Amino acid sequence: MVVEVENLTKRFNEFVAVRDVSFAIARGEMVGLLGPNGAGKTTTIHMLLGLIKPSSGAVRIFGLPFAAHREEILVRANFSAPYVAFPNRLTVFENLAVFARLYNIRQRKQKIDELLDLLGIMELKHRPISRLSSGENTRVGLCKALMNDPELLLLDEPTAYLDPQAAFKVKEVLLELRRSRDITILYTSHNMAEVEELCDRIIFLRRGGIIASGTPIEVTQAILQEQREQPALAEAFMHAARDPSDEAA
Amino acid sequence: MKPHRIAAVVVRHGYEARRNLDRITDAIYWPIMDIVVWGFLAIYLARGGQMKPGLVSLLLGAAILWGMFRAFQRDMAVGFLAELWTRNLVNLFSTPLTVAEYITGLIIVNLLKALIGMTAAALIAWFCYSYNIFPALLGLAPFIFNLMAFAIAVGAIITGLIFRYSTRIQGLTWSLTGLLMPLSCVFYPVKALPRFLRPPAQLLPTTQSFEGMRQALSGGGFSHQDFAWGLALNAIYLIGAILFFRTMFESARARGLLVKIE
Repeated sequence: MVVEVENLTKRFNEFVAVRDVSFAIARGEMVGLLGPNGAGKTTTIHMLLGLIKPSSGAVRIFGLPFAAHREEILVRANFSAPYVAFPNRLTVFENLAVFARLYNIRQRKQKIDELLDLLGIMELKHRPISRLSSGENTRVGLCKALMNDPELLLLDEPTAYLDPQAAFKVKEVLLELRRSRDITILYTSHNMAEVEELCDRIIFLRRGGIIASGTPIEVTQAILQEQREQPALAEAFMHAARDPSDEAA
Repeated sequence: MKPHRIAAVVVRHGYEARRNLDRITDAIYWPIMDIVVWGFLAIYLARGGQMKPGLVSLLLGAAILWGMFRAFQRDMAVGFLAELWTRNLVNLFSTPLTVAEYITGLIIVNLLKALIGMTAAALIAWFCYSYNIFPALLGLAPFIFNLMAFAIAVGAIITGLIFRYSTRIQGLTWSLTGLLMPLSCVFYPVKALPRFLRPPAQLLPTTQSFEGMRQALSGGGFSHQDFAWGLALNAIYLIGAILFFRTMFESARARGLLVKIE
């Protein structure tokens, strides 16, 4: 298993952001982490990266306990999210060059050019980050995330702010990476159609806990509690988000 | 610690210095302005015959070294603040980069910037006021070392406090040296302080460094006592600052502030 999470819990004083979450992801799998806002998706990803210290539970990545092997793990993993940014006075190339050094990439210029070409933003190479649109920033973030040819990619809403054409390009890139390199991806999104299209398996969180997991059709059936022929994650999402137990709670 | 990751931090702040006028201003403009002002004062006092011989060198030497200390301390915290202002902290610490590597990179960058600032100030003092500090630098090096070590400790404490209390206390980055200055006896000896302020002043490595500097510049030779006392104090402050910083960083991780701090 590439990712093994056991009984992961995160409390912020009285508030439980993630409650007793356990799951595993095999090599080459693309798993969607879904749930309404505040469900604990981003907190879970941040704990997998060591940015937030779990209150309890264990995280093993590439078979190694995270706490004791942070550096070894992060050399082989990467992350992207639209809510993080880059120093905005630096150009796209300068920012990516810093991350290329952090990952000890030998042919830095060549690698950066390859990634800019892959994400279709070569023309932005010498533009300061401050002059990019949100969608362009997201794509620069994805270039950074692919810098070290990661075996594990944690993507928190990677297509947020992207227009349909750019989102399509990103999805194509992810599918190609998976096909050619057997890369493992944990993916959060609020775009249910995209998740249905891309992910083999889904972990659905609500109020910090897993309420369903499995293939898109299994998750649809588990949440809607009825047989369906086709996945209907958007409907399942709406159903889970307005679950009467929420109001009771 | 991996050299390539330390180099990445150096390069990141190097790019920032090249692109951000504020960083250039901080590194060169203020040290030069300090020297210009202190130089005019020294000339005015010298013309009026109100100054002891050698006092010009003490004033200008102190202004140069204090400028270096202030810039180094400030830039240690500003370097970290720059990551917060640009929301880059999550990007950096989701890579294998460690806190120790980040701080080491920051120390290297800020040492270079402080040296550039000091050189600019020293050249102005030389060309405009005929005061050449360069021959004395070797004798002053141990005291400069102590000043830099204390600047790292102060910078680490301020950064740790920012982890704990967020950027609402970032003003300390620029103001704390103002608080330290009167007690550090930059331009006057310790004995010029009121009696009750002398013990706290003696507990600052900056005080020991400026006492040592005055002795060296006035031809009294190298003060082993001032250097050793400053070094011992720095050892205590540095260990304390590192422990404090680590505690605050781990506390920020536990409280989820590393990804939210603004």
